[in-house]
Amino acid sequence: MTTSYGDTLIKVQDLHKIFGDLHALNGISEEIHKGEVVVIVGPSGSGKSTFLRSLNLLEEPSEGRVYFEGEDITDKNVDINKHRQKMGMVFQHFNLFPHKTILQNITLAPVKLLNKSKDEAKKRAMELLCLVGLEEKADAYPSQLSGGQKQRIAIVRSLAMDPDVMLFDEPTSALDPEMVGEVLELMKKLARGGMTMVVVTHEMGFAKEVATRVIFMDEGQIKEQGSPEEFFGNPKDERLREFLSKIL
Amino acid sequence: MFEEFQRKFVNNFITSDRWQYIADGLITTLKVTFFAVIIGIIIGFLVAVVRSTYDKTGKLKILNALCKLYLTVIRGTPVVVQLLIIYFVIFGDVRDVSKIVVAVMAFGFNSGAYVAEIFRSGIMSVDSGQFEAGRSLGFNYVQTMRYIIMPQAFKNVLPALCNEFIVLLKETSVSGYIALQDLTKGGDIIRSRTYDALMPLLAVAIIYLTMVIIFTKFVEILERRLRSSDH
Repeated sequence: MTTSYGDTLIKVQDLHKIFGDLHALNGISEEIHKGEVVVIVGPSGSGKSTFLRSLNLLEEPSEGRVYFEGEDITDKNVDINKHRQKMGMVFQHFNLFPHKTILQNITLAPVKLLNKSKDEAKKRAMELLCLVGLEEKADAYPSQLSGGQKQRIAIVRSLAMDPDVMLFDEPTSALDPEMVGEVLELMKKLARGGMTMVVVTHEMGFAKEVATRVIFMDEGQIKEQGSPEEFFGNPKDERLREFLSKIL
Repeated sequence: MFEEFQRKFVNNFITSDRWQYIADGLITTLKVTFFAVIIGIIIGFLVAVVRSTYDKTGKLKILNALCKLYLTVIRGTPVVVQLLIIYFVIFGDVRDVSKIVVAVMAFGFNSGAYVAEIFRSGIMSVDSGQFEAGRSLGFNYVQTMRYIIMPQAFKNVLPALCNEFIVLLKETSVSGYIALQDLTKGGDIIRSRTYDALMPLLAVAIIYLTMVIIFTKFVEILERRLRSSDH
């Protein structure tokens, strides 16, 4: 099933994460390929967010390896910051920088990390803002935006670094219902544009429509995965069936 | 009544140019406060960075322990005792040591401990999501601190920091313990010459109060500027 996609972008080998008594990740091995849109679902506490956050090492694995573009980024000698520049991340609570304007939020990293000139970074930022229809908010501060607008800006901020993969950690969970649509719409646009995406979400509609692969996690393990059709149409795992019956 | 006041005023401030005790003392107080504030900010900043780096990453263990010791000792003993120890013990054998330098060191070291905890609380008050957002974009620890955490932390602690400097300004009034002629000591010398306590001490109090009011006003303006980003 994965053969129809490009090269392996992220490879995870026997990943474990232990918080005190909690075995949050219990031996996960998985690959993400170029161009895939992988949606991860599961009950709360299943380890799906921890897994996602392990991919760019925001969560340091207790055991196991993570390879990004062929390089072992769990190796202590690797400059993880360089690799993180290529892995955009979008958070549940947006995490925009409140002391900076929208434009500054977007241009900060490209100017400081990619050595882009201010003008160059601003030009790219304005292009991206036009793409999401928020160009008139360039000089506003995050506190002046709605939740949906904040999340779209957070996505733009990641895109400004030209990442090879985008990681979404429950991007719509903190939004008012009427704002979920605008964020999902933008994510669909990205997916159609060929962006490799790994998305932790509760939006099953999004999974059905956009995902190339859906993963079910429970108790720190991947219990089942497949194309949206087989995943939702013919679930095999007992826990998955129970999970789907509750949320669909 | 008015003539009595006038007579006292002339006797306390004009005769023998006694106002100079107050003026010279004020300059000394301002000098000590100014340099102590700078030392306090530098020490406080460094200690806060060490402490919060340890809290966040577990690195700098030994430095963190030293910082904790410094905080415990400084915050656990009176500033007058610290001043006396620096003057009579540490510089006890040094002849002609400048009393201003001693006072600046004592008050600077003292203030640094309080400023450190103010800065640390400011760093900790910034939501951890800000730190993660910075790191996820590819900023390293230092860059994340510099561009994202510190500016927000500074804004959060500005009122507390301002309060600390007001306390420091007034605390320097114990400089008389090492016979440094600051503002308070100046007023006290006039009192000992004229045997009139009210006039010189009232003048001293009014000057402290005026400085504090001006400083508070200045910080209010600064705060309003910085607040422009939260509407």
